[in-house]
Amino acid sequence: MRKALLGVLLLFCLVSGKVSGQEGDFLSPYANLEEFLIVQESIPGLSFQVYFPESEEDSLLLGKSWLPLVSNDSGRLSSTTADLTLLQYLPDTAAQTYSLIFSIYSAPSSTDGVKEYLSTLIRNRDFFPKDKEVLPESDWIALAYKVRYSPFFKNAFTYFIDFKLIGVTFIIFFFFGSAFFIILFMLIYKSRKIKKEELIKDYDHLVVDPLTSLLFEKETEEIENMEDWEVNQYFPTSLLSKPLYKEVLIDRIISLNKKMKGEFKGKLKALYGRTGLVKVTQQKLNSKKWHKIAEALVEVNEMDLAELLQEVKRYSDSSNYHLRSLSVAALLNLSEKSDLSFLRDQTYPLSDWQQMNFLRIIRFVDNYRPLNLSMLLDSKNASIRIFAIRLVRMLGKMDLLEELAKHTPSMNDLEKIETLKTYQELGAHMEVDFINSCLTSDNPELLIQAGKAAGILGNEESLRLITEILEKNKDFRIERTMLRSLKELDQRAFENLMATSSKEDFKRIGNHLNDPLLAHV
Amino acid sequence: MYNFLFYLILELFGWFFLVVSFSVIVIYLIMMVLSSLEMRDYLRKNRFADYGDIVTSPMAPGVSILAPAFNEGKTIVQNVQSLLSLHYGKFEVILINDGSKDDTLEKLISHFELEKTDYAYHPEIETMPVRGIYRSSNMSFRRLTVIDKVNGGKADALNTGINIARMDILACIDVDCILASDSISRMVRPFMEETNRKVIAVGGVIGIANNCDVMDGTVTQYRVPNSLLGRFQVVEYLRAFLMGRMAWTRINGKLIISGAFGFFRTSLVRQVGGYFPKTVGEDMELVVRMRRYMEEAKVPYRVAFVPDPLCWTEVPESEDVLSRQRNRWMRGTIETLQLHQKMSLNPRYNTIGMVSFPFWSVFEKAGPIIEILGVIYTVILVYLGDFSAVYFFALLLLMYLLSILVSSFSILYEQIAFNHYKDKKDLNRLIWTIIIEPFTVHPKVVWWGLKGHWDFIKGKGGWGSMIRKGFKTAEDKKTLNSTTSL
Repeated sequence: MRKALLGVLLLFCLVSGKVSGQEGDFLSPYANLEEFLIVQESIPGLSFQVYFPESEEDSLLLGKSWLPLVSNDSGRLSSTTADLTLLQYLPDTAAQTYSLIFSIYSAPSSTDGVKEYLSTLIRNRDFFPKDKEVLPESDWIALAYKVRYSPFFKNAFTYFIDFKLIGVTFIIFFFFGSAFFIILFMLIYKSRKIKKEELIKDYDHLVVDPLTSLLFEKETEEIENMEDWEVNQYFPTSLLSKPLYKEVLIDRIISLNKKMKGEFKGKLKALYGRTGLVKVTQQKLNSKKWHKIAEALVEVNEMDLAELLQEVKRYSDSSNYHLRSLSVAALLNLSEKSDLSFLRDQTYPLSDWQQMNFLRIIRFVDNYRPLNLSMLLDSKNASIRIFAIRLVRMLGKMDLLEELAKHTPSMNDLEKIETLKTYQELGAHMEVDFINSCLTSDNPELLIQAGKAAGILGNEESLRLITEILEKNKDFRIERTMLRSLKELDQRAFENLMATSSKEDFKRIGNHLNDPLLAHV
Repeated sequence: MYNFLFYLILELFGWFFLVVSFSVIVIYLIMMVLSSLEMRDYLRKNRFADYGDIVTSPMAPGVSILAPAFNEGKTIVQNVQSLLSLHYGKFEVILINDGSKDDTLEKLISHFELEKTDYAYHPEIETMPVRGIYRSSNMSFRRLTVIDKVNGGKADALNTGINIARMDILACIDVDCILASDSISRMVRPFMEETNRKVIAVGGVIGIANNCDVMDGTVTQYRVPNSLLGRFQVVEYLRAFLMGRMAWTRINGKLIISGAFGFFRTSLVRQVGGYFPKTVGEDMELVVRMRRYMEEAKVPYRVAFVPDPLCWTEVPESEDVLSRQRNRWMRGTIETLQLHQKMSLNPRYNTIGMVSFPFWSVFEKAGPIIEILGVIYTVILVYLGDFSAVYFFALLLLMYLLSILVSSFSILYEQIAFNHYKDKKDLNRLIWTIIIEPFTVHPKVVWWGLKGHWDFIKGKGGWGSMIRKGFKTAEDKKTLNSTTSL
């Protein structure tokens, strides 16, 4: 290990030595040190003197252009200077008769000493040597004339070098492209809409008169037995072939059907069949667009198109909320059977909005065609079972209370709450045991509902349970409900409790319950 | 070295503004598409909805209308009468007199024949003390309950109302709003259509009633306001409601329901502890907290939106009032985002954490800061002589055109969906507003937003340290009630 480390260290020393050695190569482009010094012009701290041995010729030459020389015993010595350019005036003869005396910060130094000094300066980046200027051999323009032109940048299309500019350009194109399509779409949409509205207005005018005269002039049988040419007189074939005209006619008939009653409804239905609009409805039922199918389902429901019920049934458990709502509504309305299996077997939760619509239809249909509502209590879908319990309550189905009671053991808390409300509203005294069992629940919502039901339907056991709850419970809402129930169930027990209890809340609730302005609050 | 750093920062800022500009364009174009799809679906679905039954149906949920009032003596009687005459079967009106210093309470008592009751008020959500709860012996006003309490602000007043609300749905409104007679039926529908996903709240569109004719609680004649600020707000409201909120509804990422007209599920509002009275953005904060609660409980849910024009209000046309309103909105946004900072970029919170929060943080909260930084950046570039007119004017023009496109789209949207502004003069005035808005009103809005930031930093109005720390869970607010006196 040690050997390896030493080896690495040695290698490092060799490498660093090599690097240091390389740093002394600053003289390589130059013939000698003097040439290097002339190019540099001056170097911090470096100065020199020139010593000439006795020679008349040289001294004359130097005396004219160079430094003043001072004679001494053996020759002549120049004054000290830091201007290295002066070196170029030294005679360039093969037999050098002079010698240079260098000084570094006034201390005499040898040529090697100067080299070492320069090497140190360069290595420490205290001095950056100038490069040797390579002068052209001929005139620049003359040279350029001879060289063939080529672009400075290698990339022929320099635009792509500026990424930001590309970015901005992309954004601009993207924006204008998108904006163009959006504006185009909006303009087309708006102009189509305006055109369509104008056409609808025109068709509306064309439809109203024949409809009015047919409704008031002809009987239902007459409309049913009309020949084709007669129909054409009222509604020309040329117009009936246009989809928008048919759409307007359907809308008109359906809106009239909603407003009218009795005989007129029959006439409108007869007309709907005679004008071939049933086929339009049937086509829409097979459309791929959900809103078209929904329109068809409304038409089926409004115009009593029982012949299309099989196709309607396909949508009774559709994943599209609107389709399954409208489909079930049509089936409830038009189905001749009392069977509600299409509703019982729904796999999607039933919303309150759907329940509200179905309730309206069931309330109406149940008057002349009793429906088998009890089968809904057997549904695997909890929301359908809850709806069934609500139906028992809202339709006042006393005959289903027994059936309902059979289901109570398997009910979840939400179903129990609905059942309690039903018992309370229908006055089901016989179900007091179920109410009492709910009074022991841990679910505060169920407990509150049980308390409310017990207030109206409760017995001695209920009284005991309520008193027990009031002793143990600390929830204000439960306290208020139970005290109200206690008051309804046994006024004397309530007054006794008010008189004896030290609970501040009981007193406040008691006052609340005794305030006539807060009778239902 | 420093020179290099300085130029590096300049370069980075250059790229940053480029990316922001591109994001703004892409996001707004996406929003335009999303809102179009949502509006198309809404209009289609609405064709098959029959509102005839809802008024009398026993299936329809009850609605508690909560209307806080502070010094509303001049109009309170007409406003309450208008609320009592709404066309719906099962509803109650709870008016909360939030320590008014004028004759609001006296007028209510005398006109509605009110008497103080022995109501056992139980503050499930902690509020300022209640001085009295009033009800009328006249059966015509049986739906009305008036609470008189010590002043504590709008959120505190609403919390008092929530404490005594008896119905399944809460309708939190501004008492001076004009509501369409069928507004409750329409707003309640999404709650009733709930199947797999729980509908926790429903937001509605607020229309601007300035300069319009109103009869029997409905706007009968639409006209654009006369002032530029008023018209600017018409355009802004159309952009916000018809485009922004419709788009957010499409991806179930809506963070705000207007405090002037919002419907909430009562049980859930109580569950999360009601409004947070120590923020000025209580409406946004409640929606975010409710959503956070549902996400933390992993219950599928949605916040619905009804784009029908059902509620109108007068908007401020004076610069002073508008600046204070915008300052408050900005602080509300900052405070809400700060309180629920844990949700930001947190995949646990799905769309709301990964999309809504980053969007609101960058474009709504930091929007004014980015804009002012852009101006400073441009000035520096001009000073250094490094300013590129091509980049600058290209981006400026682009943003200007985008602003015009988005605003025009919103107006066209209004024309296609509702077509209220039938007079061509009104339309022309709106178009002129769109053209000049970026140079006239927008800089002011940016400035007011910056002032909002500054006021937040100074800790104005809010609950400084608490807000900066944020809620750890959606139910933290409930524990605050029991430990902190308001």
